[in-house]
Amino acid sequence: MRAPALTVLAALLVACDTGGGVDFRPTAAGPGADAAAWPGAGGAPGAGGLPGADADAAPPTPPGPDLAAGATLYATHCARCHAADRTGGVGRDLTDLADFDRDRLIRVIDATMPSGRPTACAGDCAVRVGDYLWALRDGAPAPVDPPPPPDPVEPVDCADAPADLSPRRLRLLTRREYRNTVRDLLFPEAADLAFGDCPPHRFVLAADAAPGSARVHVAGSFNGWPGTVAGGGWALDRLGDVWTLDRDLPPGRHTYKFVLDERTWIADPANPLGEDDGFGGRNSVVEVACGAAELGALPADPAANVPAETRPETFPFDNHAASGRVTAGHLEAYLDAAEVLARAALERPGFGPCAGAGCAADFVRTFGRRAFRRPPTEAEITRYAAIFDAHGAEVGLTALLSAPAFLYRSELGAPDADGAFRLTPYEEASALSYFLWASMPDDALLTAADRGPLDRAAEATRLLADDRARAVVGDFALQWLGVDALRTAHKNPDLFPDFDAALRAAMLAETADFARHVVFDGSGRFADLLTADFTVGDARLAAFYGLAPAGDGTLPYAGAARAGVLGHASVLATYAHSDQTSPIRRGLFVRRRLLCQELPPPPPNAGGVPEVDPDATTRERFRQHTDDDFCRGCHQYIDGVGFGFERFDALGRWRDTEAGQPVDARGELNDIEGFGTDTQATYEGVDELAALVADSDAARDCFVRQTFRFAQGREDEDDDVCAVRALRADFDAAGGDVRALLTAVATHPSFVLRREAP
Amino acid sequence: MRRRTFLALTAGLPAALNLIGRPARAQAAPARRFLVFYFPDGVAGPSQDGQPSLWHPRGGERDFELPAQLAPLDPLREHCVFLNGLSMGPTDAGSHPGGAKKLLTAVDGGNGESIDHVLARTVGADAPHRHVYLGVQANQNDASGDKHISYPSAGHSTRPEDDPVRAFERLFGGGVAPGLPAGDPAAEARAAARRSVLDAHLADLNALRGKVGAAERSKLDLHTEALRDLERRLGGLAMEAPPPPVEACDAAPGSIGRVDRGALYAPEQFPTLLRAQTDLMVQAMACGLTRVGVLQASHHTSELVMSRFADTEMHDPGYDMRSHQASHYGPRHDEGRREFAAYVQQRRYWVQRFADVIEALRARPEGDGTMLDYTVLLLCTEVCDGNTHLHDDMPFVLAGRGGGAIDTGRLLNFPGRRHGGLFASIAQAMGHRIDRFGDAGEAALPGLIGA
Repeated sequence: MRAPALTVLAALLVACDTGGGVDFRPTAAGPGADAAAWPGAGGAPGAGGLPGADADAAPPTPPGPDLAAGATLYATHCARCHAADRTGGVGRDLTDLADFDRDRLIRVIDATMPSGRPTACAGDCAVRVGDYLWALRDGAPAPVDPPPPPDPVEPVDCADAPADLSPRRLRLLTRREYRNTVRDLLFPEAADLAFGDCPPHRFVLAADAAPGSARVHVAGSFNGWPGTVAGGGWALDRLGDVWTLDRDLPPGRHTYKFVLDERTWIADPANPLGEDDGFGGRNSVVEVACGAAELGALPADPAANVPAETRPETFPFDNHAASGRVTAGHLEAYLDAAEVLARAALERPGFGPCAGAGCAADFVRTFGRRAFRRPPTEAEITRYAAIFDAHGAEVGLTALLSAPAFLYRSELGAPDADGAFRLTPYEEASALSYFLWASMPDDALLTAADRGPLDRAAEATRLLADDRARAVVGDFALQWLGVDALRTAHKNPDLFPDFDAALRAAMLAETADFARHVVFDGSGRFADLLTADFTVGDARLAAFYGLAPAGDGTLPYAGAARAGVLGHASVLATYAHSDQTSPIRRGLFVRRRLLCQELPPPPPNAGGVPEVDPDATTRERFRQHTDDDFCRGCHQYIDGVGFGFERFDALGRWRDTEAGQPVDARGELNDIEGFGTDTQATYEGVDELAALVADSDAARDCFVRQTFRFAQGREDEDDDVCAVRALRADFDAAGGDVRALLTAVATHPSFVLRREAP
Repeated sequence: MRRRTFLALTAGLPAALNLIGRPARAQAAPARRFLVFYFPDGVAGPSQDGQPSLWHPRGGERDFELPAQLAPLDPLREHCVFLNGLSMGPTDAGSHPGGAKKLLTAVDGGNGESIDHVLARTVGADAPHRHVYLGVQANQNDASGDKHISYPSAGHSTRPEDDPVRAFERLFGGGVAPGLPAGDPAAEARAAARRSVLDAHLADLNALRGKVGAAERSKLDLHTEALRDLERRLGGLAMEAPPPPVEACDAAPGSIGRVDRGALYAPEQFPTLLRAQTDLMVQAMACGLTRVGVLQASHHTSELVMSRFADTEMHDPGYDMRSHQASHYGPRHDEGRREFAAYVQQRRYWVQRFADVIEALRARPEGDGTMLDYTVLLLCTEVCDGNTHLHDDMPFVLAGRGGGAIDTGRLLNFPGRRHGGLFASIAQAMGHRIDRFGDAGEAALPGLIGA
C-alpha cells in the first residue's frame, strides 16, 4: 500500500504556494535568486509567463535521462521554494533523498508538487524533474550544469502595459450596504439611524396557558385590537411548548392581549405590567424605550434574515463581487423585509395617496430613479406602475424595494474607444458612494450623473467629509484585521469569566472607533494605525486594560507595551484559542493581513497544538516548530512573529507571568520584505513589532492592496501591479494619508474601467 | 401507529394521491430523499506510523466487524452500507480545505456543482424547497468559503443556516400569509400580489441576462431559480405531484423551543442545536417540504470545544479539547495520549448522532416500510485520518434503502476508485440518470445500486 510512504513524502515536501492563485515572480538574478520574493514584497513584478530555457545556451547532451530538460523545469517550478541549488528554503532540502526511491519521488511530484498547484508539473514534467533530482542526489556529481538562472525579468513598464481590470459584473448589495441604502432611501432625515440598535420585541406565551389552542395572535394598541388574524392580528408561531413572535414596536407605551383561536382574550400571564381594560379584565402593558418616536415602527434590522456573505477564505472583506448571489434564503428575506419597509415608509410624509391617471407611473419614475440609482426605463416604469395599479402602493413599493435593479449595483458600463468598458455616469456614482459610504448616491451625485461623467476627485473629497465615510472606515478596519470573527468566538468561561456580550461589543467598537479617530480626527496616517501610543475606548475597556482615560476619549497606552491595533484586545483575542494564546495565529495575522504574505497550509502530520502544560510556557511548547528541520521551513516566518505577543493572554489582557515564569516577549520578524530575502529583525514587545511593520515597504504595499481589494471586490492579481504601484506612489506622496489613498483609488482609471467578461 | 395525513400548504398545492415506489416490484422506485450528514476533521484511520485504520470495517460483504468508532451503528448495521477504499484524488491531498472543497463536488478546488445541488435542481425540484442546508455552529468565527461543503455553482460555496428558529420560520413559515388557513381569500389575495411582484422581477432578470457574460448569467440564473421556486410555493406554477408526505407540517419539533438564540455559538449548546436541526430536517422531509438536505456539524479546523458537551463521554469541563486539536493525535494510535482518547470519543459522538437520524427516519412509517426505506443517507467528513489528512480510503457510510435501490447490511470495498462514482450511484438511486460524476469521470460504483 502506498499510502503511508506517500504521506511521509508529501509531508516532507513542504508546500510553497500561496494557494490563493497568485503566481510567483522572480526577482533580480543571482545565485539563489530563485528563492524569489513573494508577491506583496514590493519585488519587481513579472510580465506574465514563466521563464523558459535560454534558447541560445544549448546544454551539453547528457547520456540517459534528459537532465537538461529536468533542470530547466526544476528552475521553473521548484527552485523558488527549494532553492536553485536544491538545498531548500521554504521547501525542504532536496539534495538528501535518502528516504525516497525514484518512483515514489516522481509520484509525489506528479501528485502534489508544486505545492498548491500540483497540476503545474505532472506527467512528463514530473518524470523529468524526478530524474533530475534523483541523478543529483546525495551530491552525486552533476552530469550537466544546471542552466543559468533566468534573466532578471524587466520591471513592467506601466506606461504601455495594459492594466488588468475587473470584469463587467453585477454586485449584490452586502447586508451592510443594504441597511444603509434602505436608511438613506426611505428615512433620509434619520441620519443617526443605525439599524440593529433596537431589537424587536418578543411575545411569548407558554402553551400551557392556551391548552388545546390551534391559533394564537396578538391584538393591541399597536395594530388596532383586531379580533382575527385576517383582520390584522399578528399570529404567533408554535415552537415546542411556547407560542412566540418577534415584532418591531415603535417607542412608547403599548397595551395588548393574546387572542386564542380568535375567541378567547387573555392578558399575558408572564407579564407583570398591566392595567385595567375597562371591561373588568386586564390589558398587558409593554414600554418600548428604543427608537425615535417620529420614525414610527421601524424594522430593527431589515437585513436580519439575509444570509451572511460568502467569500473566498483569502479575501478579508464582505463585498467579494463574484460571490454575491441571491439564493432562496436571500430572496425570501429581501421580500419580507421589503414588505415591512414598504409598510413603514408609507406612513411617512412624502408618500401621500396617489390619485389620477399616470400617478403610479410618475411615482415609479421619480422614486425609481433613487431606488434603482438611475432613471428607470420606460419598460420598467410600465411594469412596476402596473403593480401599483393592480395591488396598491404597499405591494408596489415592496416590488421596487426587492427588484434586481435595487439589489444589484451594475458595473456593466458602455464600450469605450480602447475596447474596454467604462462605467456609465450613474454606475460611477454608485461605485463612488458604495466605496466611500457603503450606501446609495445622494441627490447631488445623481444630479451630477445626469449631466455626464463625474469629477471623481471632487466627489471623493466631498464624500469623505460625510459621517457615512467614517462608518465605512470603521467597518473596513474590522474586516481588514479579521476581528469580525470575534462576534462568534468562544472563550473559556472559567479562565475568562468577564468575557460577556458587553465586553465583546466594546472590543469591536474600540477597533472601529480607533480607526475612525486616526483617519479623520488624528494624523490621518496609516502608520499611526499600527504605532499610535493610545487607543479609543469606554470606561469598561479602560478598566479591562488598566489604563486611565485622557479625558478626550482616548486611552493612552502609557508604557503598556501596546501600540495601535496590535495592542487591541479584539486582535489579540481573535487570534488566540479559547483557553490559550496562539503564536501561530498571531504570527499568521501579521503575515497575511499586514504584510500580504501568504503561507501554505500546514502539511499532513503537523503536530497540531501542543497540550497545555501548566509548567511550560507557550514558547517552550512550540519549540518543536523551530527545532525540527521539517517544520522550520515555514515556521521560521510565523512563530517568531507571534511570540512577541505573549505579553497578552487569550483575551488580550496584560500578563507578567505565564506558567509561573516571567513572560518573554522577544520575537523575530524574518524576511519582512518577502520570503527569501534573508533579512532578520528581532524585537521585544508589540510596540517594537508595530514600528518594524509600519516602517516596512511590505506593509505599505499591503495596505494599498487591501484597499484596492475592498474597492474592487476581488483579489488583486499580478496584472494589477501597475495599478497598485500607481496607488502606492500617491499614498507615499501623501505621507501615508489614508484619505489620500481612498481618493487615489477612487480616481484611478481602474475604478471606472471594466473588461468584457467571458 | 401514526395515521398518514395529507398536506395542504398555502394556496394551490394539490394533495397528491398517487402512491409511487412499491419496493416489492422488481424495478426499485427512485429514492425520495437524499440527506448528507457531515462532521469535521476526519476519523482515526491509518496512523502516520502505518498502523491499520480504526474506522474501516474488516471482513466479508455480509459478515464484518465494526470497530469502536462505528460502534453506535452496530444495532443498525442491517440498514447501512460501509464503503472502504474510495479516494478523493491526489490534488490538495493532505489538507482540510482541499478535502472540504472536493467532498461533495468531486472536483479539484470545488470547481464544480456539488451533488446535493445537482439533485436539488433535478429530482428535488418538485418540492417546495429544493434544497435545505442546515448547520450547527458551522459559521463560527465568520467561517466561509472552504469551510462549507455545498456548492450551488462551481467555485462558490454557500452558507448553511445555523439558527434553528430562523430555519424553521423559513421552511414552515407558509409563505406570505402566516397564520391564515389555505384557501382564505385574504391569503389568496396576498399570494396573488406576491406573485405579481415575482413576475416583475423575473422580467427584469430576463432583460439583464442578455447584457452579461456567462459568469454573471450563472448568478442571475440562481436568482431566477429562487424566484420560480417561490412562485411555485405560492401556487403560481403547476407542479408534478410529489410523493405523499408522511406527516403534516403543522408543528415545529419540540427541540426547537429549547434553543437559546442568544447563545448560538456557545459550545455547551451545541448538542441542543444539533438535536433541533436534526429534528427540523427530518420533519421537513417527512412533511414533504424538501427532498434534498445537507446537515453540517461545525466545520473543519474549527474552534469547537467538544469537551464542553454535557452528558457525553468526552465531557471534561476542566480542559478545552477541540475537534481539530484532538485530530492531531500524533503518529500512533495511543490510548494513553489525551488527544487520541478524546478523538475516538468525539468520532463516536458523531456516529451516534448519525444513528439518531437513522432512528428518526425508521420511526416514521412510509409506503410498505419506513421513511428510511425511501431515503439515501450519507455520513461523511473531509479527510480520512485526521492527523495525516489523507484523501484516500475516505470514511463514507451510507444508510437507507433508497426506495429499494440499495441492498443494505453490507461492507463494500472500492480500492482506489474515485468517490465521484459514489455520487453517480446515488444520483441513479434518486432517479437522475448520470453515468459519471466528478472531474475524474468515475462511473457509478459497481454493485452498490441494484438494477
